[in-house]
Parts: sequence; structure tokens; C-alpha cells
Amino acid sequence: MIFSLLQLLPEALDSSFKLVPALISIAMLVLFLVIGYLYRIADTDNLWVAGRSIGIVENGMAIGANWMSAASYLGMAALIALSGFYGLAFVIGWSTGYFILLIFLSSQMRRFGKYTAPDFVGDRFNSDTARAIAALTTMLIGFVYAVGQARGMGLVGMYIFGGDYTVMVLLLMGITVGYVALSGMLGATKNMAVQYIILIVAFLAGLYAVGYTQGYSVFLPQIEYGALFSKLGSEFSEPFVNGSYYLWIATAFSLIIGTCGLPHVLVRFYTVENERIARWSTVWGLFFICLLYLSAPAFAAFGTDLYNETVGNVYGANGMSGAEGDVIVVLAAQLANLPSWFVGFVAAGGIAAAIATTAGLFIASSSAAAHDIYTNIINPEASQRQQVFVGRAVIVILGAFVTVTALNPPALVGELVAYAFSLAGLVLFPMFFLGMWWERTNRQGALAGMITGLVIWFSAIFNEVMPSYISFLEDLTGEGGVILPVFGDIFPAIGAALAGVVIVFLVTIIVSLLTEEPSDRIKQIVRQCHSPEPMGQQQTAEDVVDAKRNQT
Amino acid sequence: MEQSKRSDTNNSVNYLESKVNIFAPSTPFMREHLKVIWWLFAAWVAIVFGPVTVTFFIPEIMANITFLGFPLHYFLTAIGGPLGALILSFIYARKRDQMDERYDIQHTAGPESIATKKGTE
Repeated sequence: MIFSLLQLLPEALDSSFKLVPALISIAMLVLFLVIGYLYRIADTDNLWVAGRSIGIVENGMAIGANWMSAASYLGMAALIALSGFYGLAFVIGWSTGYFILLIFLSSQMRRFGKYTAPDFVGDRFNSDTARAIAALTTMLIGFVYAVGQARGMGLVGMYIFGGDYTVMVLLLMGITVGYVALSGMLGATKNMAVQYIILIVAFLAGLYAVGYTQGYSVFLPQIEYGALFSKLGSEFSEPFVNGSYYLWIATAFSLIIGTCGLPHVLVRFYTVENERIARWSTVWGLFFICLLYLSAPAFAAFGTDLYNETVGNVYGANGMSGAEGDVIVVLAAQLANLPSWFVGFVAAGGIAAAIATTAGLFIASSSAAAHDIYTNIINPEASQRQQVFVGRAVIVILGAFVTVTALNPPALVGELVAYAFSLAGLVLFPMFFLGMWWERTNRQGALAGMITGLVIWFSAIFNEVMPSYISFLEDLTGEGGVILPVFGDIFPAIGAALAGVVIVFLVTIIVSLLTEEPSDRIKQIVRQCHSPEPMGQQQTAEDVVDAKRNQT
Repeated sequence: MEQSKRSDTNNSVNYLESKVNIFAPSTPFMREHLKVIWWLFAAWVAIVFGPVTVTFFIPEIMANITFLGFPLHYFLTAIGGPLGALILSFIYARKRDQMDERYDIQHTAGPESIATKKGTE
């Protein structure tokens, strides 16, 4: 096991200590810690929602950095290079979902105006059980998602510092945990704007430099890579060779509704001043995301072509490995013979991307534990200090779990992250959507729906992913390493939400109709979310409704 | 049409008494809002799932048409999808701003804005 880890990085990539890249990375990490320290927090409003003070462009950048993780920076180009047209399902899934979020949920969620995603579920369905399930799901999402980030940090860290994988994961996760625990959401948001700028500049600089020096492109590599298609071979572009039409749609769909169900994405709407800023910052966020997402396929094309020319065949038996794919962005810069300080800068962007997303995930998870479980369920009398303490403790504990798991990660960066998306899409998205758009949805419906969603997700993961790690499950598998192939075809782990979400919607709706209606107060809170009447910066829909109810 | 909406905006509608159901909007504001939402949603479905579905039925034709060197299915998916969603998002945010104007909504910011702050727990 240890040996395979040492060989994670491809030979073509020289993983030794590099002075200038190391200095760049260290300066960058120190900057994050300083910003975290300057915006350190003492109260829960700043810890969870940055005091609801963030403006349009800054929140847009935070949406971008929060979003674009190692999976976007490294993993997406890997998926495109290795799985061709199927990889584009990830480009589509991870970008276009923001539109659905914008039209169906962003304004309404801002008007609802609480602190966390489990808050919405718990308050809307008036149930601590629902709140607890949502909170545990949030932590599970944070965990699965962050393991992918830690793997990305470790791989890039190895390249820059030349240390071994374990040391790099420990070091970089340690720094992330440190500054997030210190600074909370306020510092994390300020950092995310900086991290976005670093990651996008590094990525685009890398792409333009590779394109220009290798004669691929001059002005707009995002379009100019079209000229390479005749050379790249059919594997790069031929549709449905690496995945059927159904798998393509299932993957894209899962990622899209996962986008709309992810707690760390949702909370970005709670941090802004008002609903208009929530909308426009989503548009800006998507613009910032598109800058990278339109560039990643070009990077994959350049990387694939360079690999073909200098290393060997990309596809086939001795083709590019998963680990090589996961660092193809850095590898491309290296194969283009760019100076090592520059390659290091491109790599450092990957670290910034991984750290920013991990920060968002850890805050969402720690708020789920400290705010939703500890304060709302276990100890309603908790003081601000106690809440902040529990929040920090959870960040540290979760960080430790993620770090240990990442030492032997179960899948590619991009795939790991995709599992977290199907979980969010199956369990949380239906609750947000139905809860917000159909006032008749009630507690029983929500509980039944969420449990159905969890069962489907765990079944898909046990069916397809776990057998490689648990020997007694492996004995049950047949062809293709899947226990029940029919189930796996309909509910692929990566795209379980396509068929699954239909079932969850049906269960939620039918159970809701068979049981009693929610109370008037709850219905009015939902209505308040759809009213055009303006609300105060710190006001929630619940405040407005309760104030009006007391008047009459 | 546009003028008649003005008369039944804000003051006459009690939003807390108007049911929320995505298929049966109960206020003029929601009706107008959902009309925008559904049209843009339909456009989004066509942009996001259209090219891949067409490619499923006529793969050779899509692969043989090239645009700037790209096979058409690749171009429409890799570039058309994300850019299309971005443009639709921009249109939606603009439309909502225009609706806000028609319904006389001002989003003021800052802690001293509207209503009394009801504490932050």
C-alpha cells in the first residue's frame, strides 16, 4: 500500500523539492493564514454567515472559489483527457446547475434567511429528526467531498515540495484546518476571493503559456484547441464509447441537482446583503466558473497531445494512468518545458483551489454539527462561546478523519467529488425544491423522502464502490465488480440521482398527501419566501411571519 | 397588459395568504415570475440536454459536421452548454430586476435599512 502511494505521481513529472515553487506556495499559505487571522471571529453570525455583509462581485468570487476545487482544477481535465466525450458530462453538470439554483432557489433561500442548509430542513418541516438527518448528510457530503480535495493537495504538494504523499496531505490539511477554525466564514469568504484570483490566474496563465509555446494557440486557446481534433484521435471526442447515453445523462443530471443540494453552496446565499445580490452574485459566480470550465477541455487537449508526442500513447493498455490524469494540468506545463517556477505556480493554483473548497465544506459541516445538532437539539441554552468552541472542535475532528481517509483514497479526485453530488441531489435537493415550491409538503413526507434518498445512495455506493475495499463484499460481486449489475445500470454510483430523485419526489409527495397539512405558520413562512416585498438585511422569513401573526 | 399589472401589485395582495404551488401560482407576481422561469428553464433543457440527445440519434452526422475544427457535438456540449447557461442566467437576473421595478421593490442594504432589526439571536 505504501509503495503504491509513493508511485502515485507519474515518472514524467519530476517530484523533487523545487525552491521557487516552494517559496511561492509557502507565501500563498502564509497569506491565507494572515487573512484568516485578520478576519478571525468571535461570534456565530460571523462564523456561519459572515454577518450577511458580502457584496456582489466578492460573493461571486467566493462562489467560484468555493466551487472550483481540486476536482475542477485538476480532476476535470483528467476526466476529459481519459474519458473523452463522457468527461464533458462533468463540464455541463458542474456549470449549468447554477442556472437551476438561480431560478428556483437563490432568492427564496435568501429570503428564508437562516444559517445553514439543515436549518431550512428543520424549520420548514418543523422536525428535529429532519434537521438531524440533514445535518448528518451535510457532514457526510463534507467528508466525501473533502477526501477528494485532500488527495489533490497531496499530489500537488508532492510535486512542489518533493515530500512523500502522507507528509504533504498532513501538512496541507493541517494548514487548512488551522485557518478555517480560526477565521470562520468571514475570513474564509475574504480568503475565497483571493483564492479565486490565484487559481484562475494560475490556470489561465498555464493554459496560455502551454498553448503559445507549443504553437497550439495564441489568443483564445478555449476555441483554438478545435484545430487539434483531427490529430487527437477518436477516443478524445467520439460520443458514448466510455459511457452510454444513459450514463452521460445520469451523470450530468446528478451533478446538476447535486449543485442545487450542496449545503456549502447554499450557504453562500445566506452571506449576502439581500436577495438581489444573491441573484447577481450567482450570475457572476457562474461567469467566474465558466472562465475555468471553458479552459479545462483545452488544457486536456493540449495535455493529451503533448503526452502522445513525448511520453507515449494516451489510450490503450499502457496508456495514461489515473494518477497521471489527475495531474495532467501540471504535467502539460511540464511537458511543454516551461520553467520550473512557472510549473510550480500552476501547481500552487491547484492547492488554492483545494483549500478554498475544503474551507467551505468544513464550515458547512461544522455549522451542521455545532449549530443544528448541538445548539438546536442538544443544548438550546448554548452560549456564543460554546457554539464557536464546538464549531472549531468539529472542524478539527472532521479534518483528522478526512486526512486519514485521504492517505488511501478510494477513487479519482473527480469521481470522489461526484459521489458527494449524488448524495446531495438525492437527499437535500428534493427537500429544498419541494419545501420551497409546494407548501403542502409536510414533515412525514420530508422524513420519508430523505430516508429513501439515503437508502438509494448507500445502496449504489455499496453496490459499486465499496466492493473494492471490503473483501466480503468483493466476494459477492460478479462481472464488472458490481454486486447487482441491473441495479448498477439504473443507479450508477456517480449518477444515482437521475432515477433516484424521481423516486424521492414521488415518496415525498405521496406521503405528504396521505398525512395532515403543515401548520398555517409554516405555510406563511414559505409564502413569505415568494413575496416580492423587500426584507431587512438581518430579517428571516420567520421573523416577518411571526411579527405579523402577533399583530393580529 | 403591462399597465394593468400595476394596479394589483403590492398593496392589494396579501402574500401571506396566497398559496405556494409551482403549478398554480396564486399572485400576479408569482404568475409573472413563473412565466419567466418556465420559458428560461425550457431553453436551458434544450441547451444542456439537446446536443447530447441529438448526438445519440445521429452520431455520425454530428461528428462529421465540424465547426472551427470541433466535431459539432463536442462544440455544442463543451462550449455551448456552459456559455448558454451563463447567458440564460444573465437574462433571468435582468428580468427579475425589471420585475422588481414594476412592483416598486427596492433592495436597500445596510443594517439601518427597512424594518427594525429583530436581533440576531
